[in-house]
Amino acid sequence: MNPTENTTSRPNELEASLRVPLLALFGGAAVWLVVGLGLGLIAGIKFHAPDFLGGCPLFTYGRVAPAANDAVLYGFCIPAALGVALWIFARLSRSPLALPLVPVVAANLWHLGVFVGTAGILLGDSTGHTWLEYPRAAAVLLFAAFLLIAVSAAATFGWRKENPLYPSHWFLLAALLWFPWIYSTANLFLNSNQVPRGVVQPIIAWWFANNLVFVWLALMGIGTAFYFLPKIAGRPLANSGYVLFAFLTLIFFGTWCGIPQSAPVPAWLPVLSSVAAALTLLPLLAITIVTWKTVCGAGVACKGGPFCFIRFGVLCFIISGVLYVSAACPQYSRILEFTWFGTAQTQLQLLGFTAMILFGAVYELLPAVMGKPLPLPKAVRLHSWLGTAGVLLLVVPLVLAGMAQGGKLADATVPFAEVNSAALKFLRISTTGQLLILLGALLFAANILIMTIQWKLGLAKTVIAYIKSPLETAPVTLRSGAGEVKS
Amino acid sequence: MSDETKACSLPTTGEPTATRSAAPMWIIVTTLLLLFLGGYYFDLHGGWFNAKVYSPYYSAEKLDAYQPQSGAAAALARGKRTYEAVCGICHGTDGLGKPGQAPPLAGSEMVNCAGVNRLIHIPLAGLNGPIRVKGQDWGLAMAAMGAALPDEDLAATLTYIRSSWGNNAGPVTGDDVKKVRAGLGASPQPMSGLQLLKMPE
Amino acid sequence: MKSGISIFIATLVALGASWCGFVLAPTLQLGGAKQTVVLQSTDNWPLQRTGAATLGLQVYRAYGCAACHTEQVRQDGAAFEVTLTDLGTHKPDEFTAFAKSLFVLPELADYTNAMSDNLKGWNGGVPKALLVCTDKDIASEMGDRLKAAGVNSETRIVATGPDITRGWGSRLSVAADYLYDQPVQLGSLRAGPDLANIGVRAPDARWQLQHLYAPKSITPGSTMPSFKFLFEVRPKINGEASPEALTLPKEFAAEAGYEVVPKPEAKELAAYLLSLKANVPLYEAPFTPLAATK
Repeated sequence: MNPTENTTSRPNELEASLRVPLLALFGGAAVWLVVGLGLGLIAGIKFHAPDFLGGCPLFTYGRVAPAANDAVLYGFCIPAALGVALWIFARLSRSPLALPLVPVVAANLWHLGVFVGTAGILLGDSTGHTWLEYPRAAAVLLFAAFLLIAVSAAATFGWRKENPLYPSHWFLLAALLWFPWIYSTANLFLNSNQVPRGVVQPIIAWWFANNLVFVWLALMGIGTAFYFLPKIAGRPLANSGYVLFAFLTLIFFGTWCGIPQSAPVPAWLPVLSSVAAALTLLPLLAITIVTWKTVCGAGVACKGGPFCFIRFGVLCFIISGVLYVSAACPQYSRILEFTWFGTAQTQLQLLGFTAMILFGAVYELLPAVMGKPLPLPKAVRLHSWLGTAGVLLLVVPLVLAGMAQGGKLADATVPFAEVNSAALKFLRISTTGQLLILLGALLFAANILIMTIQWKLGLAKTVIAYIKSPLETAPVTLRSGAGEVKS
Repeated sequence: MSDETKACSLPTTGEPTATRSAAPMWIIVTTLLLLFLGGYYFDLHGGWFNAKVYSPYYSAEKLDAYQPQSGAAAALARGKRTYEAVCGICHGTDGLGKPGQAPPLAGSEMVNCAGVNRLIHIPLAGLNGPIRVKGQDWGLAMAAMGAALPDEDLAATLTYIRSSWGNNAGPVTGDDVKKVRAGLGASPQPMSGLQLLKMPE
Repeated sequence: MKSGISIFIATLVALGASWCGFVLAPTLQLGGAKQTVVLQSTDNWPLQRTGAATLGLQVYRAYGCAACHTEQVRQDGAAFEVTLTDLGTHKPDEFTAFAKSLFVLPELADYTNAMSDNLKGWNGGVPKALLVCTDKDIASEMGDRLKAAGVNSETRIVATGPDITRGWGSRLSVAADYLYDQPVQLGSLRAGPDLANIGVRAPDARWQLQHLYAPKSITPGSTMPSFKFLFEVRPKINGEASPEALTLPKEFAAEAGYEVVPKPEAKELAAYLLSLKANVPLYEAPFTPLAATK
């Protein structure tokens, strides 16, 4: 029907090319999400029962907590976001994934890297820098894997059959360049034999953490959301001028945030960061306007579907951004620094924003890629409720805990034991939130793993049929089943 | 503002499109305003990239104000305070004096003299009659403004005078002042410039 | 944003700028730092750690102690504290009355009131802090007037803020404090107290070891887990406890005939904790140490 249909690839071929890479990325990601949330739950329980698993040095709080955070970020958020980005690149290029075997190798390398890293932290081999705990071997694996995926994505983009760019392209392409730069810098400076002296280490670690957890996830998450929201709503993305403004201000100002206000470094560093944080309100505002204009009145009855996940994810991003900016405001940072408030913001960024958008995207694209519906379609709706409730129950009490703790910490007449106990009652509720998120993640993992197993069984059947049957019928079935390997 | 709904040229095969529009002026103006305010805030609090300036101090000047002063520096600060409270009213905080009221101290021969004996006599005993400063005769009287000051404070004040506004003479010690005070007795009489010049340096 | 190239360039410029600002510039400015001199002294700061303490930092890193403890002290501001050191011939109550008349100008009434509050219930012991004010001239003026009245006082520069009041440090933490830390373990959450000067607060290695083994034996409601695995419970030799054995309260002690001895890791960690004592004044973080006031 469409005149361009002939020049673009057949949708089947496009989706089939993504099948193996995406299953490899998403499957491992789902497992790491469950592992990470499980470790997070152990860390959470330790605050109510300090000696839970106390005899085992492997599960000391100081090891479990970073291992959990890293498993969620490096194990789930990054590979899942890359998988979704590959799919978006192929879709927007109207062409199959270029070099489809490369991301398959990369996905396995990546998950091996996360395994080595997690084991390294639990065995006491962490580097000691937040968000950069993974030891050198793991870092090398992750870096190589990312480069491979980026090459495949860039090739898909470069060989595109559709020339004009869509706003998601900006965000995703910037993210592809962003990660190798910050990850190599951070590891070359902090994870090598020539480590800079003194506070230069935390300064670089803060720069890296801000550019990964705040900027990179924002680029990936918003790029994804701005693809799926208009697509599902069936209307154009509102005001590309605002989107361009949001993109540019995010990368130009957002990248200067991240140095805490009371850091033991010369005043110019934190002051620059707090100015940048104030300017970061601008992209937040623009993203809010665009999302509002795109989503509001779209008439999508989401009912726990992918749209619901993604909309909630963008909302979480805006709130998380506001929390991030307010923590950089000198007046508030006096109270909020060194409290659970920071944890609340990071968890909202990871589990509320990034994870929810990725869940929605995966639920939306996986049936298309696999050419069949999800095995547990009802679990999606349940996951939506569990995820939303879990994020609220996790983050709201942590924010309140941070405020209570900070208020008491700022009053030197309050004994420290009381400061700590002020936060503990809130932590109990947030542990419940962690549990709900974990249950939702189990449903997500179940959907992906069942789909993978079904597909592998189907593949095995086809192969058996191919061996058994006369030659003339077989290639057709094989092509639709595993075309990506051949192409 | 410009809400023209001309779709992007993406031909739709189920792919999303974007509404074309330019970023509105108000948000760009807000950005520039915030950048200006940010620069102003940095100017006030950032310490201008000084490696020694940390957050509660904000600037090198403020940090200097909180440096503990010992010995000479503390004495000089005390001297400056006393000078500005006692002497500065007539001689000026810039040491240039006031025409018809008091001669300048900056560059004054008496102030910059190697010996301190004559100089100490002036605030302890007072002046009466003409005195020649930088080639100009001053015929005014000065009360014994320093007689009530403790020895150390007067010494600090004179040291401050002798090392400020281009003056570059040695310090005055408390013992110097003590010696002169003892020599003057209980109720010293104001001196004239000529009397002073007859005394040893 | 018409082409991939323009996105590439925008990203390069944006990230390149922050890389120059937050990676390159700090490396150039602070990366070559050396020991500095302690204010009004010829001592150097910071001191090199002993071998055991250096290993202890690795234990601290490996167990992720920084997940719950910070090593950085915040400071809200600085002030001048006038401390009475010698009353001379005055009697305490006579001095209290005199202090009220020290500043008669109405705009200085706040200082007079603050001083009267400080002197309430004072038994005459010295040194006695009279006034903390941010105005240097007021503090100096007060010192001068007290001196004129035959009373000796000293003006101390003090850091202010809740962290300082809690006794977690005498001043804010500065870059120089971390010169020999590899990795620097600043921490970002205070689920436990700050440790920047734990070596000053608890200078006893036995206290540190007991606290690591059984935190609740020292702080009853502590949420710190026990680091039992850094210790060895072994039978006493001939019923004699070895000199290294911890002396623990009954409910935490090992069963009869056994003793708790620290493994090398625990001793190193304790040595590291004892080496944390950022308590000297520096140019960038000035204060007058208490010892200087006689």
